[in-house]
Amino acid sequence: MKSKRSTEGYLLIDHRNSPGVSDAAVWHCDLPPGAGQGLFEAATYTCSHCLYVVVIEPKRTRDRAHCMGCHHDICDACGVIYAKTLACSSFKRKAESVLEAAAQIVNIKEL
Amino acid sequence: MAKRIGSNHTNTLTATADATNLADSTYPLAILGGSTTQITNIMEIYMGGQSTSSATTFTVFGIDSQIATGSLTKDATLTDAPMNSATAALAAPPTIFNKAATNKPQRSSSLHLMNLTFNAFGGVVRWLAAPGEEVTIVGNAASLGQASLSAFTGGSGIIGAHIIFETF
Repeated sequence: MKSKRSTEGYLLIDHRNSPGVSDAAVWHCDLPPGAGQGLFEAATYTCSHCLYVVVIEPKRTRDRAHCMGCHHDICDACGVIYAKTLACSSFKRKAESVLEAAAQIVNIKEL
Repeated sequence: MAKRIGSNHTNTLTATADATNLADSTYPLAILGGSTTQITNIMEIYMGGQSTSSATTFTVFGIDSQIATGSLTKDATLTDAPMNSATAALAAPPTIFNKAATNKPQRSSSLHLMNLTFNAFGGVVRWLAAPGEEVTIVGNAASLGQASLSAFTGGSGIIGAHIIFETF
C-alpha cells in the first residue's frame, strides 16, 4: 500500500543569487508568499483528474480534496467538480479511452 | 521504454497568451507523441535563468490545444538524447521541437499543468515527479498528445531548460 507521502514530487525555486520574484507575481501562480525570494523548496502532488501539479502549502489548514474513486488527492478545481458529482474522472480513465479508441481505428484499418 | 532528455541550452522566450500560436524559437521546447497509442511520462523539468538583468519569467508547462503540423524542427541549441547510451531507438519516438512549419503549437487555456514562475536573472527552477505521479501525454492528437514549455503573458527572459521523459 502506498503512503500519501510517496506520491509527493519536489519543487525547487532557487533565487539565492537572483533578485527573485515579488509576492504579487507568485500569488498568481498558486505559490505561497515568499516563494519568490531566496530558496524555496516544496512538496508537490499531481492531481489524478487533470494532472495539474499542485504545490503543497504546509500552512494550509483546509482539507485537500480527495477522490474516493481513484484514492488520490485532487486539485481544488477538480475537487469542486467532484463534490458536485461524486464521479471519479481520473486521467488514467481518459487516457485508456483515448488509447482504446485509437486501437479500434487501427484494428478497423487492419480488417 | 527509455528515459530521454530534451534540452535547450539557451532560448530567448517571448511571452505568449494561451490559445495563441507559439512562434518558432520563442519557446524552449514542445513534445509531441509519436503515435496514436503512445504514452509519454514527463518526470523532470529544469530551468536555469540566463538573463543579464532582472526578468520575471512566467513559464508554463501545459498541454497544447493545437497540435503542431508540418516539418517539426529544432533550433541548434535544442537536443533530444537518451540518458543511457545503450538505449535502442524507438520505432515512433516522440518529437521534441521548437519550430513548426505549418500549424504552430498553441497552449491550452484550460490545461496548464505547471506554473513555474521565476526570475531569469540567476534563478533556477527544478521540478521532479514522484514515481507513478508523472505528467503524461497520450497519443498524438489534441488535446492530450502534445505539451509545451513556454512563457505566459507577463514577462520573459533568457533561459536554459530541459525535460526528462520516458515513452511507453
